[in-house]
Amino acid sequence: MKRFDCLKLLASMINAKTIVVANVGPISREWNALRPSDANLLQVNLGLCAAVGLGISVSLPQRQVVILDGDGNLLLNLASLADMANQDLKNTVHIVLDNEAYEGGGGLRSATGGKADLSVIARGAGVPQTCVVTTLEEFATEARQSLNQSGHRFIVAKVAKGSVANLPTITLDGKEAKYRFARYIESTEGVEILRPRYTHI
Amino acid sequence: MEAAAVEAVIHGLKRAGVDFISLLPDSDFSALQHQVANDRHFTYVPVSSEAIGVGVCAGAYLSGKRPALLVPTSGLLVAAWPLTSICMAWSLPLLLLIPYRGDIGDAFWLMGPYKDTTEPLLKVLNAPYTVISKQENISQAIIDAQASTISWQRPVAVLLTGETIK
Repeated sequence: MKRFDCLKLLASMINAKTIVVANVGPISREWNALRPSDANLLQVNLGLCAAVGLGISVSLPQRQVVILDGDGNLLLNLASLADMANQDLKNTVHIVLDNEAYEGGGGLRSATGGKADLSVIARGAGVPQTCVVTTLEEFATEARQSLNQSGHRFIVAKVAKGSVANLPTITLDGKEAKYRFARYIESTEGVEILRPRYTHI
Repeated sequence: MEAAAVEAVIHGLKRAGVDFISLLPDSDFSALQHQVANDRHFTYVPVSSEAIGVGVCAGAYLSGKRPALLVPTSGLLVAAWPLTSICMAWSLPLLLLIPYRGDIGDAFWLMGPYKDTTEPLLKVLNAPYTVISKQENISQAIIDAQASTISWQRPVAVLLTGETIK
């Protein structure tokens, strides 16, 4: 199963207002090509994708949040799974595109290419609904169900290494991404985030 | 931490507009942490690693919350990488409250290394800080630090030492 095909399916199902947090590297580049949007927060560094997603999910319980994680990203801070589970999230779909490798870091295998099973770890951490999918049909079924229900669902999609050719470069750095995402949240949620002169106190 | 110091911190956080707290349980802040956990003013997200806490606070800030991270002295070292890879790289604010173990007058030998690392680390992370040793200065320091972190879009720390963490 190719990661790009999974993401293409997901992009066809996803609501325009769904917030997507994605792992730095090929996942962000592919997702940006398929669903460019200010509702995306891309290129979140190793170990932090789930944590940043958790902060958003808790703060905006009325919004659907999809986390596009990598196996290496999640493995660095596995305790994120326990911290997420203990928040009883109702609005979160956490998808790990598990290629069993540090693809962006040269391709050596990750722990999931050995004996580790992230779905079992997530279940043990208290995540209520977990699954592993290995075909596009299974992915489509699980993704559709997850997007159409409230709760906290965790999907491990076993994908092959490798990306697609000629993906557009992501031209935003973290600072511009921050401003665009924050302005998007301000406009869609009616909240004030960026306030250069914070003097009400 | 004495009850008056706990109250001063809570008062400062509320006056500063903080409405979201992430923390990892720590003996020096335990009385404060219990109070924060049970105060419905704050969205409360306990974490199992300070690194996760930095990420959680980043997500909360970008969603319209005003977060603060209560960091054990040693936990600042754990948080150093996400403070770099998220806060520094994305230019994100974060109010850090840190009990300053290992400061001069702290008689426990195990805390000694934190005198060597805490302030230099904050400087390297481009995170301005203030060291507070008197209870009467706690609230205003938190209010000022919050104003600064939001305005400057980088982390700002309040280090609590002396009588404030006794």
